[in-house]
Amino acid sequence: MAALMRSRLPSLLPSLPLSQNFSTTNSLQHIIKLTRLRVVDNSMLGNQSVVAGKPPRCIHVYNKTGVGRVGDKVLVAIMGQKKRAFIVGVKQRARPNKPRFDSNNIVLVEDNGAPTGTRIRVPVPSDMRAMEGDVTKILALATKFA
Amino acid sequence: MRLIVLPPLNVSLIFFFLRILTNVQFVRGRRRSCKAPSWFAKRRVEPSIYRNELTADNAEFVREVILDKYADKSSPLKEAPWPRNEWQPKRSMRGGLLAIKIGTVPQWTKDGRKFNCTMLQVIDNHVIRYTPPEVFTQSAGYKSKWKGAYGSLVVGALSSDPQLFSAQYLGLFKEAGVPPKRKLTRFLISPECAIQPGTPLSAMHFKVGDYVDVQAKTIGHGFQGVVKRWGFKGGPASHGPTKFQRRPGSIGSGRKMSRVMPGKKLPGHMGMDWNTLRGLKIWRMNTKYNVLYVMGGNLPGPNHCYVRIYDSQLPTHVQQRAQKPPPMPTFYPELDASEPIPEEIFDDELFEFTEPSIVYEEGKK
Amino acid sequence: MADKLATLGFRSFLSHQFLKRSVAAVSCRYANTLSNETVEKHRTSTLAHDKEQKEEKKISAPAPPGLKHVHPEFLPNPTFYRRDRIKEKLERQDMYRRRAVCPIPEFYVGSIMAVTLADPYASGKTNRFVGICIQRASYGLRANFTLRNVVDNQGLEIRYDMYSPLIQKVEVLRLEKRLDDELFYLRDAPAEFSTVPFNLEAVSHPPGAPVPVNTTKVKLGPRPWHERWERRNLRGVQDLGLPEKFYEKAKKVAKPWEEYDLMLKYRTSINPQETDEVMDEVAEGFREIERKRRREKLEKS
Repeated sequence: MAALMRSRLPSLLPSLPLSQNFSTTNSLQHIIKLTRLRVVDNSMLGNQSVVAGKPPRCIHVYNKTGVGRVGDKVLVAIMGQKKRAFIVGVKQRARPNKPRFDSNNIVLVEDNGAPTGTRIRVPVPSDMRAMEGDVTKILALATKFA
Repeated sequence: MRLIVLPPLNVSLIFFFLRILTNVQFVRGRRRSCKAPSWFAKRRVEPSIYRNELTADNAEFVREVILDKYADKSSPLKEAPWPRNEWQPKRSMRGGLLAIKIGTVPQWTKDGRKFNCTMLQVIDNHVIRYTPPEVFTQSAGYKSKWKGAYGSLVVGALSSDPQLFSAQYLGLFKEAGVPPKRKLTRFLISPECAIQPGTPLSAMHFKVGDYVDVQAKTIGHGFQGVVKRWGFKGGPASHGPTKFQRRPGSIGSGRKMSRVMPGKKLPGHMGMDWNTLRGLKIWRMNTKYNVLYVMGGNLPGPNHCYVRIYDSQLPTHVQQRAQKPPPMPTFYPELDASEPIPEEIFDDELFEFTEPSIVYEEGKK
Repeated sequence: MADKLATLGFRSFLSHQFLKRSVAAVSCRYANTLSNETVEKHRTSTLAHDKEQKEEKKISAPAPPGLKHVHPEFLPNPTFYRRDRIKEKLERQDMYRRRAVCPIPEFYVGSIMAVTLADPYASGKTNRFVGICIQRASYGLRANFTLRNVVDNQGLEIRYDMYSPLIQKVEVLRLEKRLDDELFYLRDAPAEFSTVPFNLEAVSHPPGAPVPVNTTKVKLGPRPWHERWERRNLRGVQDLGLPEKFYEKAKKVAKPWEEYDLMLKYRTSINPQETDEVMDEVAEGFREIERKRRREKLEKS
């Protein structure tokens, strides 16, 4: 009986791959581990992931809360590689006067902190200019601020 | 034939029920009490059968007598005001106000920061009685930890119809010569801050920019479990727990802890207890309606609850008050106001809505 | 007969017990608290020493009938325990003051607007955002609206507090309404439905003319969506093209009786008489702003 059930199981599932078949904190729109993200710079790796239809997945958030906010560093799994990235736009509910984005945007960086791409293709929140540390390196790539 | 004849709804019974749940939240050293202290004057009269049988003329006459006795008195002070004393830093403790919470609104600072303010209206406050330390040490409510340094000041709010109250309760207001108050409260004060009974208190008792402590009774939630009352996590929702979704777990084990430690967080009555918020800034004041705008949208209690307000006792604010003494012992509009009091007073950092929009200057962050 | 009377007595005993318990239960939740009416009574009591002086209402003309739809944020929060006359009055006073400094034109959900905001990080220290208004919410000084636009294929939304002093200017570029009260479904629609160019020129609306209703029917993209739109009774979207079972479920969870629930309406809205009183005051407040502005102009010239 159990064997029969197991053989039937795949046919019950929809055609999507298993990893895309469950959602994680959809209501809060938090960036946590296993959240799928969108690369918004013009790096080769980012373009490849878009073409292949395999968006990067957050596998670690480098802060204490475990929830990624604008300016936080994350570790992502992209095209079979581990890469570091900065969050430059989030889907979750924003405070007044601050932009809320339709996607969770990231910009890939190398291990030494230098950005992988040369240009950011979408607007980034203007209050990122007040931030300090390695994030300032990617602000030079931004074309528009919202 | 026997009929069950019921008395009309007994008001005193309801008040008995109300009292059951006073002071019930577990606080170490405090005992659960079902009764008001024995020295409290019995407040309400039983609704008399005679009151319903008053003719319209007689009722009007009673009303006139009451108005004649209490209303339209410019100053209820019978004697000249008591002499005013100097503010003594770190020693003086002034009385406070009994206000009513009327709502929460957002306000902005001049650099564009948004925050919530709670509006507290001071309605018809009077000093009812002052008890000097010598007498106060003898009273039933006195605690030895005060070491005889403080007297007590009773403040009342909301003048009411004297017909509603017992003769014993009305007797409390004879000295002050004001109409009976709906609510009374007591403040500890140092003797140099004594205020003469019968003195009206207004929002100007405090200054804008002062820091105050506020006390109010929180919203009652009844008997609650640990998840709601203390924010415990409860048990896992799946993977086989039985009847363990909202339980506290172990409450003590081991050699030393194999008993329930005093103060252990357990289920029990939640809310409807006095809560204090300390060090709240007064951002703004409306002198026409006696409204204080106090920092924070999280003041205890529901809308329209009574709120006790007094000078903040936090050490930093006590020290700061040494430089900026408050009006002593309270604000007397006839004596202290050299020019007409403005209707609205704002803190220096608060954005006034009549000002132009905030503009950030170039070259500044 | 005796039995009947006994049951009656027992019933009244039960109701008596119930009343007693319910009164106690209600009061135990909100102890040390007064009702709105009691506070009102004491504010104007003849026994009070600082009795509130009755102000004469200086209303020169009644408000135009549709004013409550133009400025819905002036109506107080209908939640009964949040009501307070003085609080609402002082709050409205602040709103007139702010509007006298920074005019906020008439707008609706669906209008295309531009907001200029003081931003310490932007070049020139101001930031202008253009978008379609997808939501208008809250009451009093808390009132806010949300603008949505798509810039470089990136959907952006910004929520503005209407009475925030950071706002430098609010422009309405196209004054129009949509078929729905909220346009959150634009998040699930293709980008062209919420794209507005930043250099869009304002089209002035002749005063007094009716506000046009934009009857665009939006074609939503494929699922998954942010919400189950088939359950929302939307008028501004095309056929959603879902299998029949979705509509069956929507029918099951629908609450068609709410339309006829008088108590629900009573609890969630301000009654017409009070609305008229507030709106008369608002109209007078606006006239006062206009007078003040004219006076200032004269002084300048």
